[in-house]
Amino acid sequence: MAEKIKEPGILSQLYKTFFAKHWPVWVGGIVLGTLNILLFAIKSPWGASGGINNWGENVYKYIGVFGLGNATPTNASYYGMLCLFLVIGSFIAALLSKEFALRIPPIGELIKGFIGGSLMALGATFGIGCTIGAFFSGMPAMSGGAIIFTIGLFLGVIVALKYLMWEMEKFPKFSSGKSYNFLSATTKSGNWQKWMGWIVLILTFVVAYQYSGGNKIMTWFVIIGMLMGLISQRSRFCIVKAFRDPFMTGEADGSVGVMAGLMIGLFGFTIIKYFGIGVGDIAIRTREMTWVFPHFFFRAIIGGFVFGLGMTIAGGCAVGTLWRVGEGQVKLWASALGFLLISPVSKLFIVPPIVKLLPPSWDFKSYLPDYLGYPGAFALVTLIILIWYVFVKWNEKTGKFSAY
Amino acid sequence: MDTKINETLDCKGLSCPMPMMKLAKTIKGMKSGEVLEMLGTDPGTKSDLPRWCNKSGNILLDESELSGGVSRFLIKKK
Repeated sequence: MAEKIKEPGILSQLYKTFFAKHWPVWVGGIVLGTLNILLFAIKSPWGASGGINNWGENVYKYIGVFGLGNATPTNASYYGMLCLFLVIGSFIAALLSKEFALRIPPIGELIKGFIGGSLMALGATFGIGCTIGAFFSGMPAMSGGAIIFTIGLFLGVIVALKYLMWEMEKFPKFSSGKSYNFLSATTKSGNWQKWMGWIVLILTFVVAYQYSGGNKIMTWFVIIGMLMGLISQRSRFCIVKAFRDPFMTGEADGSVGVMAGLMIGLFGFTIIKYFGIGVGDIAIRTREMTWVFPHFFFRAIIGGFVFGLGMTIAGGCAVGTLWRVGEGQVKLWASALGFLLISPVSKLFIVPPIVKLLPPSWDFKSYLPDYLGYPGAFALVTLIILIWYVFVKWNEKTGKFSAY
Repeated sequence: MDTKINETLDCKGLSCPMPMMKLAKTIKGMKSGEVLEMLGTDPGTKSDLPRWCNKSGNILLDESELSGGVSRFLIKKK
């Protein structure tokens, strides 16, 4: 019997490890948490709503309205590019695993996508941050406001879930109907996806390289953004799932995956803030206060609630929207559209008048180590995550709070 | 041998959380031993469904890929 050539087998096995099956969500959580630390180390932590806002500003700049002529072009905006390459990274991952397809849902779902995205825009601009900036990054940043925002998220998710269940009972037709599926890769004829995946991957590195002369930070935001999208798609990392599933089917693994990312992030962020590790001559205090937003009073709870509503209805938070856009889920294209159109409008015209009515003392940034010291703040965030862990695991066993 | 299908749930075009929500609700309303055929296009369902079956005790009898990117699942209620 002829001896098999070993080399292609090994590489093709490696490829299959990454792209044949989905990754466990906790792996995704840990890697994303690690990448978040790297982003913070080179500039500032992961955030998504800011990038999408930049996209919206550029749309209006192009149309010529709202006085946004000076908006930073997306290709010069760190977070605009981070979010763009997150979509591209997810696109690459979907292609390489032959999971890309243009999936157009029934019209009721598209409407919910758009409304969900719009609500997220309102929640993020009012609450200063989203599930990434004010939660996945915000908690590791030891921001007191992030804890409040998270409570808001929970409440919003629970209310929106009740709505979705009610809608499914009373108006099942709204989420049913004609759907379309294009460009899917069925077995052999789908190999074009793999080729395209490799091409887009290479192009990503080409783009990243373009910046390496004068803007090294952008080079890495492009690469890390792409990796974040790739990992999110492969592991189906989803913060909405983490908040929602315990109350829906009772499953805990989505939540545990997010918690893994939070803990890693907490370790890394604490070290960066404690030592003031940063770019150039940034003061330690500035480093400490990074991603600590003035939303502790009122803004975080309301913003979190509205964002929680929106993300549950859309079926993805800001990042969940981005990676599902890359996978071809058109409902989330509608969500992205709602998000980017409403965000600048909210930021310019809706939020400022409301904020003017609030007492000036409410413009307050709560940095937990200022009150509890670094050990105390670290312990508090860890304790909150532990309580959440115990809750979801207990709920998974007993089914006490799950609807199905 | 073709398994007798008691009900078909069409989740084509739907994305998270609709497929799992509709599945859980439909199974709840079926009798023990009955078989549900579910059609879907969300890649997430391919991981979500086996895990949910494991957890809920319902049995995933079959999983196959149809043309057009549609996945077909046969689930037997416990």
